[in-house]
Amino acid sequence: MSSDYEYSDDDAEYYDDDEEMIDGTQEEGDDSDDDVDMDTFGDDFKVSTKGKKKSYEVDYDSLSQQQVEKLMQKDVDHICGIFGVDVSTAGLLLRHMKWNKEKLIEKYMDNPDSVAVAAGVTIPEARPAPPSRSNSQAAAAAANQPSRRPLTRGSKLLSLASGSKSSSSKSPTTPQRAPPISRTSSWKRTQDEPFVCQICFNDAPNLQPLALDCEHAFCSDCWKDYLTAKIMEEGEHSVRCMAEDCALVLPDPFIRELLVPAMDAPAPTTKEAKAAEAQGLKTWSHFQELLVRHFVACNAHLKFCPYPSCTNTVSCPSAASKSSLTTVVPTVSCGARGIGGEEMSQSQHGPGLQGKEHKFCFGCPIESDHRPVVCNVAKMWLRKCRDDSETANWIKSNTKECSQCQSTIEKNGGCNHMTCKKCKHEFCWVCMGPWSEHGTAWYSCNRYDEKTGVDARDAQSKSRASLERYLHYYNRWANHEQSAKLSVELYAKTEKKMEEMQITSSLTWIEVQFMKKAVEEVEKCRMTLKWTYAMAYYLASGNHKELFEDNQRDLEKAVEDLSELLESPLEAENIPNLRAQVTNKTVYVQKRNEIVLEDTANGFLEGRWHWNTPVEGFDDDDNEA
Amino acid sequence: MDARLRRVNKEITDCKNDKTSQIKIELVDESPFHLKGSFPGPEGTPYEGGKFEVDIVIPESYPFQPVKMKFITKLYHPNVSSASGAICLDILKDAWSPVLTLKSTLISLQSLLCSPEPNDPQDAEVAKHYMTSKQSFEETAAYWTHIYAGGPPPKGSGGAANDEVAIAGLDKAQVDRFEALGFQRSKVVDVLRRLNYRGANIAKISDDVVVEKLLMA
Ligand SMILES: [Zn+2]
Ligand SMILES: [Zn+2]
Ligand SMILES: [Zn+2]
Ligand SMILES: [Zn+2]
Ligand SMILES: [Zn+2]
Ligand SMILES: [Zn+2]
Repeated sequence: MSSDYEYSDDDAEYYDDDEEMIDGTQEEGDDSDDDVDMDTFGDDFKVSTKGKKKSYEVDYDSLSQQQVEKLMQKDVDHICGIFGVDVSTAGLLLRHMKWNKEKLIEKYMDNPDSVAVAAGVTIPEARPAPPSRSNSQAAAAAANQPSRRPLTRGSKLLSLASGSKSSSSKSPTTPQRAPPISRTSSWKRTQDEPFVCQICFNDAPNLQPLALDCEHAFCSDCWKDYLTAKIMEEGEHSVRCMAEDCALVLPDPFIRELLVPAMDAPAPTTKEAKAAEAQGLKTWSHFQELLVRHFVACNAHLKFCPYPSCTNTVSCPSAASKSSLTTVVPTVSCGARGIGGEEMSQSQHGPGLQGKEHKFCFGCPIESDHRPVVCNVAKMWLRKCRDDSETANWIKSNTKECSQCQSTIEKNGGCNHMTCKKCKHEFCWVCMGPWSEHGTAWYSCNRYDEKTGVDARDAQSKSRASLERYLHYYNRWANHEQSAKLSVELYAKTEKKMEEMQITSSLTWIEVQFMKKAVEEVEKCRMTLKWTYAMAYYLASGNHKELFEDNQRDLEKAVEDLSELLESPLEAENIPNLRAQVTNKTVYVQKRNEIVLEDTANGFLEGRWHWNTPVEGFDDDDNEA
Repeated sequence: MDARLRRVNKEITDCKNDKTSQIKIELVDESPFHLKGSFPGPEGTPYEGGKFEVDIVIPESYPFQPVKMKFITKLYHPNVSSASGAICLDILKDAWSPVLTLKSTLISLQSLLCSPEPNDPQDAEVAKHYMTSKQSFEETAAYWTHIYAGGPPPKGSGGAANDEVAIAGLDKAQVDRFEALGFQRSKVVDVLRRLNYRGANIAKISDDVVVEKLLMA
């Protein structure tokens, strides 16, 4: 094993002095680099797939729209079998009951007629007075509607009339498994009187009137325009008949026939016809997506990918209940990359962001990855930050004064090791303390000295202490966020360096990728660090918190070291050395990050973490009074 | 021809040709998609004798999405904003159907004047007034019809001096009483209207509360 990422005891200089392992974490053998996932690299880097789930990861599946449609079809088939209804009816019944099969079966067995009427499948036997406030006067004025003859039918379930096209179903999603659909007179044109569409007032002799069982007939162009408005503009997955107060819902085959041209239909010749056909197909496919979205929203173990124009779904049963969110942070990914199916241009986003995976939290919309802290604590923290934003605003500012010579210093990279250009004073951007103290084992920039608060006597100094305590955590939280954002610039700088390296040294393109990998790792770890400060703010003091902060400190120090190395000037003769150092530090940083994530996740599973304030979902007696 | 334009043109023509109808639809400017409708207030209501004008905007996807309507004429009604003329009516929202027409919608507005729905109000203050004292509400509505919609002067109405009080639907004696304490008349009207100081409520709200609100106003 001669990988650059091979990690051995020889690299000990990059480790902290205190190498003792923390409770609850198991370190891999030192000669193993298997847990280092280098899948973005070439053969030079061994890819490890042990298939072992880490404790900070959740089991989940990503499903394509087609796969979700299969799940829907399974439920539909099940209902078809039990009720003896056709596919389209079963679909409408399930949608009406929010895909709760058990509830549907129970209610339907109890009273099939009322369920079918409520779902918009059948017309009520006796037509009740219109519930709309527009009174009969208005209804009468709504022009001569087609006469409604008394409805007498044997089957309560709508036998959907459909043209010859229904058999040539092109849709992969709603195969016509139902028995051949019977044709009722409702689709046929009444011979005795000429048809005038009561919506567009078109009376052309070739006009084709279409109606459901309610016999509210309108021309197909009006149906199409109506569907487009309902589906594309209002995003409705359940579209009612166009007649006033008619509660029948348009069944899928009816919609399909209007929007999707028949197999044997002649290809459109005019520009308008082509555009109309394209619009129809677009509307039909959007309708399919709306149905899937509705199904997903009805199932607690499913979530639709929140990335724009992505249609994937994630299934995560272990995070389906609210209570599960106190033990896991369900960071998931839908399996797709990039936005809108297109690669983003490099000028818009850093190369590191290009084709980024669709990562999101299954439990909350707060942030795509807020590990290691659970959703409710992350939520509390963000609420606090929002409420206290005014007091904390000054910290966000990107400029500070050198503590030695008072000249203004601007931060433009992610590294917190600042050197004043004027007086060469080296200090820490976060705590403004001398940097020399940060380089040693007693680095304690991450820890808030609780004593300040305890010693406070009067109310005023108590409230000042509590603000200071908050600012301590907020400051570090915001700083890591800021630094992670600045990493876009760092990517750009790094790319330049990588180009330089290929010119000034004999390294090939693949051999300079270590720089990019390091930048990615730094960004990732800064996100972890950011949320560790939200966690630490609420952690009850004691041994557990101290160990947590030890891990946090080790990660932070490792990240700052690597960050600094990446921003150091490039000298040709130093490149091989730099490569070795960056590579080693990247492995180390990765390891420290694993430890923080693993240990925190294990703590949640074990119920080890206690809070200094009540947190939703956690028992109150778990908290300090 | 554009289907929307054909439909709107037909609707306007039909309405014009219908000599028996009380509903009128006319153009506001060149556009057939911005219209003005009007109808007389229904008989036997406080709106009787008034002429009510409605601003009509026809959206791009009409008639598949509802027409936008609001009253131009000010009127006192629980389901119409007394400030903006905005209307709360189901058929203008999700109960809209493409078979409804401008005319049928205006008829629905007319019938809304016959049957207010104070439980689903657009104007909460007016709705409260309606619930507290229907008689007082109707007097105020009739007064509004008189001054804004050209209706007849209500029986027993006073001169111009009590305009402000009548518009707010308040008891003149009560307004006088608080004005006598040294408060500005318009301030008294404003506070009493917001307190819904009418009918049975007068006994329920103590003078202290009124004075306190007056001092804060
Ligand atoms: Zn119908
Ligand atoms: Zn039509
Ligand atoms: Zn996605
Ligand atoms: Zn979350
Ligand atoms: Zn300085
Ligand atoms: Zn520091």
